[in-house]
Amino acid sequence: MALILSNECVGERVFLMKLQGLRAAPGQFYMLRPQERLSAPLLGRPISVFDADEEGLSFLYHMVGQGTALLAAKRAGEEVQAIGPFGNGFRFADRDLSVIGGGIGIAPLYYLLKEWKRRFPARKTEAFLGFSLESFMVSAFEDVSGRCQVNIGGFVTEDAPLAPGPLHVACGPLPMLRAAQKKAEGNGAELDLSLEARMACGAGACLGCSCATVAGNRRVCKDGPVFSAREVLL
Amino acid sequence: MNPLQTTLLGVNLKNPVIAASGTFGFGAEYLQFFDPSMLGGISSKGLTLNGSQGNEGVRIWETPSGMLNSIGLENPGVRRFIAEEYPKMRAISAAMLVNLGGHSIEDYLEGAELLNGVDLDILELNISCPNVKSGGMAFGMDEDLAAEVVSRVKSLSRHPLLVKLTPNAPNIVSLALACEDAGADGLSLVNTFLGMAIDIGQKKAVFRNVNAGLSGPAILPIALSMVHRVAKAVKIPVVGLGGIMTWRDALSFLMAGACAVQVGTASFADPLAMPQIIQGLRLYCQSEGLKNIAEIVGAV
Repeated sequence: MALILSNECVGERVFLMKLQGLRAAPGQFYMLRPQERLSAPLLGRPISVFDADEEGLSFLYHMVGQGTALLAAKRAGEEVQAIGPFGNGFRFADRDLSVIGGGIGIAPLYYLLKEWKRRFPARKTEAFLGFSLESFMVSAFEDVSGRCQVNIGGFVTEDAPLAPGPLHVACGPLPMLRAAQKKAEGNGAELDLSLEARMACGAGACLGCSCATVAGNRRVCKDGPVFSAREVLL
Repeated sequence: MNPLQTTLLGVNLKNPVIAASGTFGFGAEYLQFFDPSMLGGISSKGLTLNGSQGNEGVRIWETPSGMLNSIGLENPGVRRFIAEEYPKMRAISAAMLVNLGGHSIEDYLEGAELLNGVDLDILELNISCPNVKSGGMAFGMDEDLAAEVVSRVKSLSRHPLLVKLTPNAPNIVSLALACEDAGADGLSLVNTFLGMAIDIGQKKAVFRNVNAGLSGPAILPIALSMVHRVAKAVKIPVVGLGGIMTWRDALSFLMAGACAVQVGTASFADPLAMPQIIQGLRLYCQSEGLKNIAEIVGAV
């Protein structure tokens, strides 16, 4: 069990929970459960790591169902079950970085930008953030990216140039990922996608999160969640 | 002496806790959490002769105290399993169960024949998968069909044969007796219960196949009752499974007559569920002064 340091509402049905003493690389996730097993919900919810510091990890999540509603009701000082870290996370290379986030899909991109800035301070970074109705966490992104452009109600993939040169990374709803994949392919840009999927275990055992790729099925949890846009068939 | 030491179909188990098929890959997925060699056994992901990409669409759906799955036996096929997964799985010092499904009797026979070429411990014949369109559970719904596939695989396989039963059979005790008569060396029960979920917003079934398989603590009392009835009816060993989350649950199945248990969904909820169950059973033996856990098998 992990101690909750804070759990704040940071937007419409969007929460940021900080847990003590966990470690992860950018792009990895944990399975979070409001209580220990035996009580509902049965399964953990895969939640992306938003940020990391010496105290622990922060998780940005959207309250969509009963599992996340129970997480959202938790208070600082209480505990949750946090199992992980899972997944391979993002790759790092000494080059410019451009990220595209849609809705709660912005979650893993903050830690990526922050770490990129620390490792490659001379490189340019930019963020294109899209929201359907209301933005959240934008000022945090402004602190860690050279440029941050927000789109509310439109298509964030139209804002992002997705041009050759930088490494592009996208995370968000499937139609957004498909549009980014198509645009990057047309432009000859290099794009990585962080995928989201229903999963029972997070560990690669249940095969609930299989996704089709040019090389056959891959598991979002264990082989991903980050894939090259060239390999996944969305 | 290890009070949890037991045997199943002539195979030594360090303890009566086996990872259920489809919930533990080929043994390597939970290495981050514990050494799988501490388990009594591991049953492989269900294999089919030629492998499968599994089902399209939603595959996992949480339900009250349980989950529905419609994976559809995604697996590499028997030949690729033998070439790529078998050596790694064999290197784990838990008993090795290989779960074999099929779409036709010929599939089962060819798969079993190929598996004669490797040194596995127990062949678990899956006549109970609810998530494949042809074959699968159909073989476990009809006593005559079940008896035919069991007797033909038994006559061909050199491995001890554990037959995994579906709780969706019209009469699981008759099915169990039919499998015993046909030559099964042991039975494992239960696989998942047929269930469904509806997306009321879309007015559609959640799963492409409409029906899926229900597992988890929601099914435990029904599974326990079936294991109890079957264990009383047959003379061959019974392996119990269905919603086991804790050592108390595992003990219930042993008292109901199972000589070993399988744990599945619990590992999804908590990767350390099986190590904790093993530890709980060990402490139970100590506190009750049992020389061996087998002393309580069938106590009820």
